[in-house]
Formats: sequence, structure tokens, C-alpha cells
Amino acid sequence: MGAPAAPGASPGTTTAPTPASREPKAESAKPPAASTAEAASKPEAASKPEPAKVATNAASSPRPATQPKVEARPATQPKVETKPATQSKPEAKPAAPAVADAKPAPAPEPKPAVDAKPVAEAKAAPQAPAKTAAPLDIKSLEQRLKETPAIGIMTKLSLKNQVDDLLEKFREYHRGARKVALDELRRPYELLLMKVLSLLQDGDPALAQAINASRDAIWQVLTDREKFLQLT
Amino acid sequence: MTRIVRAVTLAVLAITPAFAADDPAQRKDLTAVIALHGLPCGEVVSYEAKGDREFVATCKDGNRYHVFVDKNGRVMVEKAR
Repeated sequence: MGAPAAPGASPGTTTAPTPASREPKAESAKPPAASTAEAASKPEAASKPEPAKVATNAASSPRPATQPKVEARPATQPKVETKPATQSKPEAKPAAPAVADAKPAPAPEPKPAVDAKPVAEAKAAPQAPAKTAAPLDIKSLEQRLKETPAIGIMTKLSLKNQVDDLLEKFREYHRGARKVALDELRRPYELLLMKVLSLLQDGDPALAQAINASRDAIWQVLTDREKFLQLT
Repeated sequence: MTRIVRAVTLAVLAITPAFAADDPAQRKDLTAVIALHGLPCGEVVSYEAKGDREFVATCKDGNRYHVFVDKNGRVMVEKAR
């Protein structure tokens, strides 16, 4: 999910028209939002760093998935993508005067592509964030993975072997027995996830999507000692 | 009597290849397993069941692999000769 979001966001070629068309909508949607008032009241200097932040978040592929989740956004992809839109909307106005600057320019880019679908949904999203906040249910995902007909039994066994191997590396990391850097574990983790997703995407796309949506949440569990110990 | 023996023999011969056979799902499974182990194959075109969870798979590129679950529950893929 994260990966496709970034390419979709960056090629936003129609940066100029969309923000212009969006501004009125944003303004109409804003009155209830308190953040708008804050953004408006803040000086330009204060608002500058924010667009840069949003831009980096949208640009890096793994991050966008995490951020919305942490903020308890809806689990479905389109809704997740609406969150950054609502975040960056207030910032679009302050960015307008500073368009000449090099930095704020990339900030609006992710917005157009992200915003394209649900402007109306963006309104509703802030109201029901906690309700749809997909809490990570690893057990459920595991069960679904075991039961899915999309993967054969030998493949499942093989995947399980690889998952166990990776878990063992995380165990070593948390134990501190071996010098393992987290960065070294991220790569095999992503690779394994890619394998699972590629096996599932045709036969069980729903499960593939659920796993993909949980990618960062699972990583957080694996890297957090307490959570990891609870899991294993 | 000979007719019966012949019929039974024919039936067994007819059944055996079907048993050893070509379940597309199994082929796909073996293809995935071999790929998961990072071995060249392309696609499993046929396989032979050697036992419960033990196969010899023949790949499109001519490679043959012995795929089995060892006593520790690990799926092993070894090049077959």
C-alpha cells in the first residue's frame, strides 16, 4: 500500500489546477476544524516546516501507511489516503504565498493525487477515526493465512519456515545475543512480506490487502520488545 | 481368470499415473515452493509423488527437484539427478 501511494502521489503533474480547485472546497470544509484556525493564526514561518514534513511523509513509501494508522485512520486504503489530505489542507493556504520558494512546492504535489477521489469522505473521516482504526490482529491474520486456499500446503509450510527463521532473528535481536541491526532485519521482513503478498494477491486479494495494510503495524510489533514477547 | 487378471492389471496401470499425476494446484504449489527457495525453475510441468509430502518436480527449464518435508517440519528442496 505504501509503495503504490508514493508513486501515485509524486507524479502529480497537475499541481496548479487541483489546489486551486480544492481551495474553495477546503475552505467550505474547514470552518468546523480547529486546526484551520490554528494554521491561520500561525505566522508563515511556523507553517513552513509543516508542508515540508507532509511532503516527506508522502514521498517515502513505508511512512504513509504508518502515519495514518497511528493516527487511527480507517483501515481501507482510500480512507487512509484521505487523512494526509485533511492534514495538509490547512497548510496549503500558507504555502500559497510562499509558492515561489523551492521547498513548499513539493508539498501540494501529493495532495492532488490523494485528494482526487474523496473530498466528501475527507470530511467524514475525522469524525469516525477511532471506530474504523484497524487494530492489528496478528492472530486473525495468521489464521486467515492458514486457511486461505490461495496457497498450497507445501508453500504454507515453506512460508512458515521462513517466518520462523525471521522470528528467530528478531528474538536474537531482542535478546541482544547477536549483533543484529534493525535495518538488517527490515529487508528480510519486507522480502518475506512481498513473497506472501505475491502468493496471495491473485487467490485471496482481500487477505493480501489486509496484510499489506498491517505491514508497518506488524513491523512495530516485531521491533517492540514488549509486544514481541507477548506475541511469541 | 486371465481376463480378470488382465483387467485388474490394466486398471492398476490406468490408475497409477493418475495417482502420480498432474494436479494443477499441486504443480502450482511446488512451483511456489521452489521459487520461495530461490531456485531456478520457471514452472513445474510435472511431478511425481514419492510419498506423503514428498515429490520430485520437473520444471519447464529441465531442472528437477526433490521437494519434501524433513523430520523437523522444514520444507526442503534439493536438486534431483
